[in-house]
Amino acid sequence: MNEKGANIDLLFRNGLKDYEVLPPPGVWDGIQPSVKAKSRPVILLRVAAVVTVLVTLSLLTYRWSRELSDTNAGTEVAFNIPASDPLVFNPIASHKFSPSEKSDPVKTYSDILSEKAEPVSIQPEIRSSSSSEQILYVDGASKFSIANRESVRGPQLTSLNTSGSTQPKVKYADLQYFQENSVTKPKNRWSIAAMASPTYYSSFNSGSNELSKELSSSEQSIISYSGGLAFAYKISKRFSIQSGLYYSSLGQRVDGINSYSGFKPYDITKGDHNFEVLTTNGTVYTNNPDVYLSANGSDRILTAYTNDVFDPNKASLQPVNNSLSQNFSYLELPVVLKYKIVDKTIGINLIGGLSYNLLVSNSVSTTVDGNRYSIGTTRGLNPLTLSSSLGMGMEYNLSGKLSLNLEPTFRYYLNPFSPATGSYVHPYSFGIFSGVSYKF
Amino acid sequence: MSEIKKIIKGCLAGNRRDQELLYRRHASKLYAVCLQYSGNDEEARDILQEGFIKIFENLDNYKHEGSFEGWMRRITVNTALEKFRSRHNLYRVDDIDMIQEPDPEPDNQDYAGLEANDLLEIIRELPTKYRMVFNLYAIEGYSHKEISKMVNISEGTSKSNLSRARVILQRRVGSYTGIKKKVANE
Repeated sequence: MNEKGANIDLLFRNGLKDYEVLPPPGVWDGIQPSVKAKSRPVILLRVAAVVTVLVTLSLLTYRWSRELSDTNAGTEVAFNIPASDPLVFNPIASHKFSPSEKSDPVKTYSDILSEKAEPVSIQPEIRSSSSSEQILYVDGASKFSIANRESVRGPQLTSLNTSGSTQPKVKYADLQYFQENSVTKPKNRWSIAAMASPTYYSSFNSGSNELSKELSSSEQSIISYSGGLAFAYKISKRFSIQSGLYYSSLGQRVDGINSYSGFKPYDITKGDHNFEVLTTNGTVYTNNPDVYLSANGSDRILTAYTNDVFDPNKASLQPVNNSLSQNFSYLELPVVLKYKIVDKTIGINLIGGLSYNLLVSNSVSTTVDGNRYSIGTTRGLNPLTLSSSLGMGMEYNLSGKLSLNLEPTFRYYLNPFSPATGSYVHPYSFGIFSGVSYKF
Repeated sequence: MSEIKKIIKGCLAGNRRDQELLYRRHASKLYAVCLQYSGNDEEARDILQEGFIKIFENLDNYKHEGSFEGWMRRITVNTALEKFRSRHNLYRVDDIDMIQEPDPEPDNQDYAGLEANDLLEIIRELPTKYRMVFNLYAIEGYSHKEISKMVNISEGTSKSNLSRARVILQRRVGSYTGIKKKVANE
């Protein structure tokens, strides 16, 4: 009996060794959420770290720009001129010299102009101001500005009361130059823009994961589009902050997936889908019971209807196409900082920031004779993604308020569309936004 | 670094693609184990799901010593045992006596023509307690002492269950072989 028992043991041990049975579809769905919960804090921490760094950099840049303008103001020298005649002033008429200046008792306006490269070094003297006087500022680089004297306080300013014989005349054109360069609050701080762009979407593939390489090798970008409204607020002469709401549609074509129609009479499963297709942007689940999918020489399709179980040719199914289109639609909320490099009729801006992208819809389809044939949807997508953007904006001023904009923008997604792609797939997009903006 | 090590590393880093890849590569083999230990498909599916969750949760405990597939299989078998223990799904000892003694096995039995799915079907027809003991002893290679602790029975009961399981299996295998031969001759 023992020998017979050993025989029966061997029969089952050897017979069941390496035996495989394809699990029913949907088991992975039950495993996914449990596994996902473990990795989520890491992703959140990374996103939080990136946001913190970018916000800190933005604040530091803004503060640095403010400090720069304050430093320039600190080297200024003030001249009194009669308010009654703003076109003519007498820079040295009432100048009181300090003892160190005795060797050069008279310093005329033209003298100061000749000392363009050197800061004017005069001992500070704060005088009580008269409401009827205006002050002309001269800094070390011979920049001039005019302001009401009431607005000037502090020891960094030196007043030169000038009168007497040396009274150089300043022409109106010069004064206008001073006024244009004066420190005044920027007008038209707000602007609204309507922008649209064709978008090229793709992804970097890093690491040595064979499957992700295999998947991405058969995926091609589809030219998509993006558009919306943007609001900008000018926080200083050079910097402005921009936000808005955009709608964008992205997608890719997955090659090597053969689709057939007419499968419905053969569908005997009770599940909500018959096929799962692996892509770098999540798993496609069919929701059309009439569709049959197969992939030659690839294990990217999971199904109970494998080729050895069901032959679409023997069943005379109708071939539809050999690729799928995966489409995603997002609502985007960008927060962008703009720095004006050139401020002329054609202005140039450097643009950088972050964008929160909310997934609003996704679909998978293919085409047959130019008509769209629905396949299913992609599951396991991140409902919210974060992207960083960098671009160069060109602005052509049509009038004081209206301008044309062109912004080539590169966008890099900080977290992938699907958590399944992990650290191997890094999506990016490139778009050339164009539109009109109105300042108010 | 071998590919499986890279996949494990990716899983530990929370990489969804690697987690799915690990599942897809091993799910079929482990599902066959689950079917072997369960009486119905729904239970097998639950065992597979819970087993994989445990595999992912305990992946950092795998020391890359010995077969990774063996390590996963042990977790799956333990999950099946836990499930049966928690449901008190094991037959009581007195139930065993109610099972009819099988007919004596014919000599020189020919097992030719039996396929793996036939064997799986036969093993799943066994009463739960016999199936558990037979699987653990004959397939997994545990001793009666180990089985007694795993299934909460005495060593004597383990031996007795194994013996009865073998007899039932021999009879059923004989029946299957006979049917198959008959079908082949027709």
